Amino acid sequence: MRSLPVADPGTPDARSPIRYLLWVARRQAGPLAVGIGYAIVWWIAMALVPIAVGAGIDAIRAEDTSALLICGAVVLALGTVQAVAGTMRHRMAVFNWLSAAYRTVQVIARQATRLGATLPKRVSTGEVVSVGNSDIAHIGNALDILLRAVGSVFAIVTVTVILIRTSVPLGLTVLVGVPIMTVAVAPLLRPLHRRQHEHRDLQGELSTRAADIVAGLRVLRGVGGGEQVFADRYAGESQKVRHAGVRVASVQSVLEGAQILLPGLLIAGVTWLGATFALRDEITTGDLVAFYGAAVFLIAPMRTLTEAADKLAKGHVAAGRVVRILNLEPEVAGGTGDSGAACQGGLLRDVASGVAVRPGIFTAVAAASPEESIAIADRLGRYTDGDVDFGDVPLDRLPLAEVRRRILVADNGAALFAGRLRDELDTTGKASEEDLAAALHTACAEDIIGALPDGLDSEVAEAGREFSGGQQQRLRLARALTADPEVLILVEPTSAVDAHSEARIADRLAKARSGRTTLVCTTSPLVLDRADHVIYVEEGVVRARGTHRELLATAPAYAATVTREEG
Amino acid sequence: MSRKILPVADQAQVRAYARRLTLRYPRELAVTLTLHGLAAVAGLTVPWLLGGLVHDIEKGVRVDVAAVALAVAGFLTLQALLVRFAVLTSSRLGEKVLAELREEFVGRVLGLPLSTVERAGSGDLISRTSRDVDALSRTVRYAVPETLIAMVTITISVGALVLAGPLLMLLALSSAPLLWFTTRWYLRRATAGYLRESAAYADMTDGLAETVNGARTVEALGLQERRHRRTDTDIARSWAAERYTLGLRTVWFPAVDFSYVIPIAVTLVAGGLLYIEEWVSLAQITMVVLYVQQLADPLDRLLMWIDELQVGGASMARLLGVAEVPDDREAGSGVPDGEELRADGVRYAYREGHDVLHGIDLTVRPGERLAMVGPSGAGKSTLGRLLAGVHGPREGAVTVGGTPLVELPLDDLRGHVALVTQEHHVFRGTLRDNVLIARPDADDARVRECLEAVDAWEWVETLPHGLDTVVGSGGETLSPAQAQQLALARLVLADPHTLVLDEATSLIDPRAARDLERSLAAVLDGRTVIAIAHRLYTAHDADRVAVVEDGRISELGSHDELVAAGGSYAALWSSWHGTSR
Repeated sequence: MRSLPVADPGTPDARSPIRYLLWVARRQAGPLAVGIGYAIVWWIAMALVPIAVGAGIDAIRAEDTSALLICGAVVLALGTVQAVAGTMRHRMAVFNWLSAAYRTVQVIARQATRLGATLPKRVSTGEVVSVGNSDIAHIGNALDILLRAVGSVFAIVTVTVILIRTSVPLGLTVLVGVPIMTVAVAPLLRPLHRRQHEHRDLQGELSTRAADIVAGLRVLRGVGGGEQVFADRYAGESQKVRHAGVRVASVQSVLEGAQILLPGLLIAGVTWLGATFALRDEITTGDLVAFYGAAVFLIAPMRTLTEAADKLAKGHVAAGRVVRILNLEPEVAGGTGDSGAACQGGLLRDVASGVAVRPGIFTAVAAASPEESIAIADRLGRYTDGDVDFGDVPLDRLPLAEVRRRILVADNGAALFAGRLRDELDTTGKASEEDLAAALHTACAEDIIGALPDGLDSEVAEAGREFSGGQQQRLRLARALTADPEVLILVEPTSAVDAHSEARIADRLAKARSGRTTLVCTTSPLVLDRADHVIYVEEGVVRARGTHRELLATAPAYAATVTREEG
Repeated sequence: MSRKILPVADQAQVRAYARRLTLRYPRELAVTLTLHGLAAVAGLTVPWLLGGLVHDIEKGVRVDVAAVALAVAGFLTLQALLVRFAVLTSSRLGEKVLAELREEFVGRVLGLPLSTVERAGSGDLISRTSRDVDALSRTVRYAVPETLIAMVTITISVGALVLAGPLLMLLALSSAPLLWFTTRWYLRRATAGYLRESAAYADMTDGLAETVNGARTVEALGLQERRHRRTDTDIARSWAAERYTLGLRTVWFPAVDFSYVIPIAVTLVAGGLLYIEEWVSLAQITMVVLYVQQLADPLDRLLMWIDELQVGGASMARLLGVAEVPDDREAGSGVPDGEELRADGVRYAYREGHDVLHGIDLTVRPGERLAMVGPSGAGKSTLGRLLAGVHGPREGAVTVGGTPLVELPLDDLRGHVALVTQEHHVFRGTLRDNVLIARPDADDARVRECLEAVDAWEWVETLPHGLDTVVGSGGETLSPAQAQQLALARLVLADPHTLVLDEATSLIDPRAARDLERSLAAVLDGRTVIAIAHRLYTAHDADRVAVVEDGRISELGSHDELVAAGGSYAALWSSWHGTSR
C-alpha cells in the first residue's frame, strides 16, 4: 500500500459531480482495480461454500469417505481463500476510502487558500466546513462500495449458473425470488429514511443546545437563576429526540422483521420445491441442502447492491457540493506587473477618499464611522477593487502576491491558528528571537507569553480560544509586527486593550515602525496622539489633516469623534 | 492547550454505573431479552425441520412436504414478528435510558461550581458534551442491544447444538480457542487505536475548518503553503492511526473468518465419518452444519460491536467525571448586614507561590461607582472575580455586610453581587429568553425597559420578529457589541445591589459605549457599580478611580484628585485627552 497523503492531489475535474467522482477514481485506479479483484475472489469463495456443503452431504449419504474428505478440504480451502481475500479486500477498501477522502480534503484546503478573502464573501464557511465533516465520508463510501458491489454481481452470477445447471426450475425460483424479496422491502425504506432524517435533525439540534449551554455556562452561572430553565428546556428537547428515536425504531423493527419474513417465505418455497424434486429423485438431498444454503447466502450480495445504490447517490450529492466550491473564482485579480520596471513603492494613495499614506512615517486615519475606515483599508490592501496608486504604479497592475507581500492589512477579524505560538506569530518563518521579543514588547503581549506554561513554545488551541479578546488582539498585533511588511495597515488595533497598555502600545508602535510606512485606523486619542500625521475622514472623504493636537484645536468634528465630549 | 481540570471516573465507577443503568428497568429488560430469545428459538427450528426432511427423504419415509414447508414458513413468520417487537421494545428501553443519561449529564454541567467553570475553559467540557455524548448514544443505541441480542442468540444456538448431539457440538466449537485468543489480543489494542484514529480524523477536519474560517488571514499573511503543509501533516497523522488499526484487523479478521469455516469443515467431515460408523444420523449432521453456518452471524455482530462498547465506556468515564467536581463553597450561617462590599488584606494565587494580588484593601461604599484601571495582567480581573465571589481569597477576606462572599449560598450570592465580563454569549432561543435568564417571570414591559437601559431597544425593534426573533447559533446573528448589550440587559433585569462589570462594554464602538454607560448609570442609580474599564471616560465618569498595578492598588481617589496628584493616572489622562483641556 502506498503511503498517504499524496504530495500533489492534482487538478480536479470539477465540470460535474460525476466527473469529479470519476477523476478521484482514476487517480486511484490501481488500488481500486486490485480491491475489486480481491472482492470478486472473496464473494465467489463465500458463494461456493453452500455448494460444497451440499456435495459433502451427498458424499456422506453415499458413504464415500474420499469424496467427503475432498469436500471437507474444499470447504477449508474456500474458507482460507475467503479469509485472506476478504482481509485484503478490506485493506484495499479502507485505502480507497481514505485515499478519496484525503484527496478531497487536500483539494478543498487548496481551493480555500486560493480563494482567500473571497471565500467568506461567496460561500458560507459552514458549508465548506461541512464538506470536511460529512461529504468526504460520503465520497469515501462511494469508492468503498464499488469494490463490494462489483464483487457481489460476480457472486450472484456464479451461484445462479451453478443452481440452474443443477435444476432449472429451482435455479430460476432462486434467481427471480431473491431480487423480488430484496426489492419488496423498498417501500419501507422511504418512511424509514424520513424518520431517520427527522431524528438526526432533532439530535443535531439537541447537540447544538448542549454545546450552547456549555459555551454560555460562564455567562449563565455568572448571572444565575436560569439553570433550571435551561435544564428543563434541554430535557424537553431530549424527550423529543427520544420519541423520534422510537418512531425510527417502529419502522426499523418492521424492516428487520420483513427482512426475515420475505427471504423466509422464499426459503420455505425453495424447501418445498427442493424436497418435492428430491422425493422424485430429480435432485439429491445434498442439492436440497445446497439450494437452501444458496438462497440464504444470496440475500447478502443483494443487500450490497441496494446499499451501493444508496451510497453512490449520496456520494454524488456530496461531490456536487465539492464541485460547487471548486468552481468559485477569487474576486480580485492581480496584475501581471508587465510595466517592466519594478514598482519602487512610495506614496500609497486611495483616490476615492483622498487618503494618502506617506512612505516612512506613522499615519493615522480617524473616521466618523468604523465602516469608512474598513472600506479604505480594504481598498489600500486591494481586498476590494479601487483606484489606488502605489508610488507611480496603479496598484491593480501589480501581481496580487506582490501586493500581499508588501502591504499587510491587519484587522480584528484576522484568525489565530492552532499550533506552537512561536510559529503562529512568525508567519514568514524568518524572524529571529530578538525580532519576536521586540514585536511582543511593542504589542505589550509579554505578560500573555509569561503566563503560558511553555512560553512561546506552548501549543495554542484554534482561534486563540483560550485567550481573552484583548489578549487575542495583542497577539494579532505582535504577529503583524513580526511580519514586518513594507506597508503595515492596522485597523483598530487597540480597541479591546486597556488604556495603560494602549498608551504603551502607541508609544512603542511609533518607535518600532520608525522609518517604515504605517497606517493605523483608530479613534483612540492615545494612539492618534503618537501618529506623525492624522487624517480625519467623514462620509468617505478626507475632511482634515494635521497632527492630533492641531486637529483637536481646529476641527471640532474630529474632537467630537475622538473624545466623545458632548458639546 | 485546554487545561484538563475536570476529573474522569475510574473503571470501577463506570462498571458500577453501567450495572445500575442496565438494571434500572428490570421488567423492560426481561421482556426485551425474552422476546429476542424466543425469536432466536423460532429461527433455529428451520434447520431442524430441514434436517428431519433430509433424514426422511433419505430413509424413504413418507413425508408431507407441504406440511414441512408450511411449518418452515410459519416459524420464520413467527420469528419475524418476534424480532419486530423485540427490536421495538429494546429501542424504547434504550432511548429512555439514553435520554435520562444525557439529561443527568447536562444537569450536572449546569450545577458545576463557579470556580471550576471559570477555570476549566470550555474546550474539555464541550468535547464531553458533544463527542462523548454522541459516542455514548451510539453505544446505548446500537452496541448494547446488538451485543445483548448476539449473546442471547449464541447461547440459544449452543443449546440447540447440544440438543442436536453433544458430540457434534464439541466439534462445532473446535475453533472457539482460536477465536477467543485472537479476539482478546485484538481488543487489548483496539480501543486505544480507535480513540487515536477518531482524534486524528477530528484534527484533520478541524484543521480544514480553520483554513476555511481563516481564509482571508491566510491570504493576507501568505500562509497558503503553511496551511497546505498543515493539511498534509494532519492527513499523514490520520493515515498512521488508520494504518495501525488496519494492521490489527489484518491479523484479527482472517482468524475470525477462519474460525467460522473450521467448524463447518470439521462437522461435515467428522460428522460424515461418525454417520458411516452409524453414531449419528444424517438429520443431525444437516442440522449441525446449518447451525454452525448460522452461528457466524450473531458472532460477527458480537465481535463488531464489542470494541464500540469499550469506546462507550471511555466516554462514560468522562461524563461521570463531571459529577465528581467537589462543591467549592460551603454555605455558612452568616447573614449579610448591609450592602457594603469590603476587601481586607486580600491575596490570591492561581498557582501556588505565585500571588497575583498582594494584600488588597478596598471598601466600596454602597451606591458608589468605582472604576478600576491599570495595565493588562495587573490583577484587575482577578480582583473583580474575588469581589463577585467567584473565587475565595487565599488570604484575607471579601465580605458583603460583614459576611464572607464565599460563605453565601450561590443563589443568595447572586442576589447581592453579579459579574458581567467581556465574554459574551448569545443563547439559542428568542431574544426575550436571552434577557429573561435571571428572572424568567418578568413581563415584556420590563424586558423592554432593560433593553432600553442599554440602548438596545432601537435595534431590537428592527429585528424581523422583535423580542420573538430567534437568535444565537442557527438564528439571527448578533454582533459582539449587541451581545454585550444583551448581557448588560440581563444584569439590569437581575438587579443585584452590586455589579462588577469587567470590560463589559469593550466590544461596543467607543463612540456608542459612552452613551450606553451613561444611560446604564441612570438605570443603575443607587446600585453599587465596580467597572473594570480600558476607556478612560469610564474612569472620568466614576465617583472614584482605583489604579491597579502589579497586584496592588497604587492610587485611589476621585478623577480630579488623581489628576491633581500627578501620578500615573494623571499622566495617562493627559495623554489620552490631549492638550485641549
